[in-house]
Amino acid sequence: MALRELSSLEKFLGLKKPNKYSTQGDRKVPVLQSNSAPSLVGLGTIATHLAQEAKRPDLLGASAEERAVIQQWLEYRVARLDGCAKEDIKTILKDLNAYLEDKVYLAGNHISLADPLMYYGLHHIITDLAVQEKEKYLNVTRWFDHMQHYPGVRHHLPPVVVLRNRVYTSGHH
Amino acid sequence: MGKVPAYQGDDGFCLTESNAIAYYLSNDALRGSGAQASAEVLQWVSFADSDIVPPSSTWVFPTLGIMQFNKQAAEQAKEEVKRVLAYLNQHLNTRTFLVGERVSLADITVACSLLWLYKQVLEPAFRQPYPNLNRWFTTCINQPQFKAILGEVKLCDKMAQFDAKKFAEMQPKKDTPPKKEKGGKEGGKPQEKKEKKEDKKKEEKKPAAPAVEEMDECEAALAAEPKAKDPFAHLPKSTFVMDEFKRKYSNEDTLAVAIPHFWEHFDREGYSIWYSEYRFPEELTMAFMSCNLITGMFQRLDKLRKNAFASVILFGTNNDSTISGIWVFRGQELAFPLSEDWQIDYESYTWRKLDVDSEECKTMVKEYFAWEGDFKHVGKPFNQGKVFK
Repeated sequence: MALRELSSLEKFLGLKKPNKYSTQGDRKVPVLQSNSAPSLVGLGTIATHLAQEAKRPDLLGASAEERAVIQQWLEYRVARLDGCAKEDIKTILKDLNAYLEDKVYLAGNHISLADPLMYYGLHHIITDLAVQEKEKYLNVTRWFDHMQHYPGVRHHLPPVVVLRNRVYTSGHH
Repeated sequence: MGKVPAYQGDDGFCLTESNAIAYYLSNDALRGSGAQASAEVLQWVSFADSDIVPPSSTWVFPTLGIMQFNKQAAEQAKEEVKRVLAYLNQHLNTRTFLVGERVSLADITVACSLLWLYKQVLEPAFRQPYPNLNRWFTTCINQPQFKAILGEVKLCDKMAQFDAKKFAEMQPKKDTPPKKEKGGKEGGKPQEKKEKKEDKKKEEKKPAAPAVEEMDECEAALAAEPKAKDPFAHLPKSTFVMDEFKRKYSNEDTLAVAIPHFWEHFDREGYSIWYSEYRFPEELTMAFMSCNLITGMFQRLDKLRKNAFASVILFGTNNDSTISGIWVFRGQELAFPLSEDWQIDYESYTWRKLDVDSEECKTMVKEYFAWEGDFKHVGKPFNQGKVFK
């Protein structure tokens, strides 16, 4: 799964020639194979490397603070989101929903590497949500919808239907 | 028609009206792709013009000192603004941008029309109920294309109030516009932005022109009228701000605040204080008729309001009364001969200019402004007072 995601990311970044990847261990950690340099291990590391290779420093943050927030989300993606237990999903969505209330993007006022990677990681979770749940995590849903419409992000993933007009208005807010 | 902003393309194509120019300079993505999206964009542009700009101007312009303050109108505008913000907040609940999933002309126009609200009056507590709108607005103004024009936008910390001093400063002279620069620069006209983006269409107008003009219109309307026939135009500028004093007089305690303010700021060169007495007290009958006499005179002097203040009091009872008052005028002469409209009543009164430093003057100002005291020179009890302000 991580490999298809990396190939989508390459397309999003506009990288012409695809890299060679393999996986490592039980958790299938992605590895970027390279002939000239030592191979890179881990989703966050590889994604950051690809952004640099594509000369997209804007995706890595404009300030030190922004760069840190982006790395924090990449780490969150790998450590908390990937392979999380079913009972953790609610907490993750709740936290993320609160975080996104006053934000359009995860870090700063522009799209960064954190956004597509969190989008890829959350996709299977959001797909499984019922309409009521999507409304409950309104800010996550809004951000998610923005991401899947963002030029070049979605690629290999099927679009998730998001209702703009709320059906269940008795929920929170 | 001498319209500003105006646009002239390389090929000689001309346009006026900011929204039309913005539309022309936009690319298809900004206009909204598809019939539905572009209609939605148009809807928001119209919404900005018809629902945001009017109440926003009514509320914000006085705080910038470019329009007179009217409490009732401002309060009404405030409520109107709240409705608009709530509506936008609701719309943005499920949306990142106003139309579609990217910035469009709708976002540019609406954000720019909200700009001065956010800068001047929407203090944190006031904007707190609209988190979706705040999120959207912050994102918009931080897009590089917005930033290129608007610079760093600082959101309001504390709600600005009417700036009487600035207003007074800006009123009399139209030829020195330094005050406007600040406002002018980011006056928030979307077409400027477009120009930057679309470099292939060469910009013809000076960068700051369109926004400055926006301020001008309003100011010109206000300044032009009184200036055309301002009988006090020949007098040098005064430091005493009549409106400010009147506000203190109306809203705060007369003895504790208004009168000390009056003496502290009074400009003896620019203004004079007069005592007036009705010449035919024996003709005064019923108290209400006498009051009508006073208020009728005030009405006929309406155009003098800006440059005068008076407290006129009816003393005594029916068939045994006198009228006298204290007047403060612009200039050192009686103001009435300056305009034909003002000459109907004043000859029915005797007028005596008071020595500003005299005890008599101080006492009279105090007693007449406050409607209380001994009124030793009158010899009749206070009946009722009328204030010309």
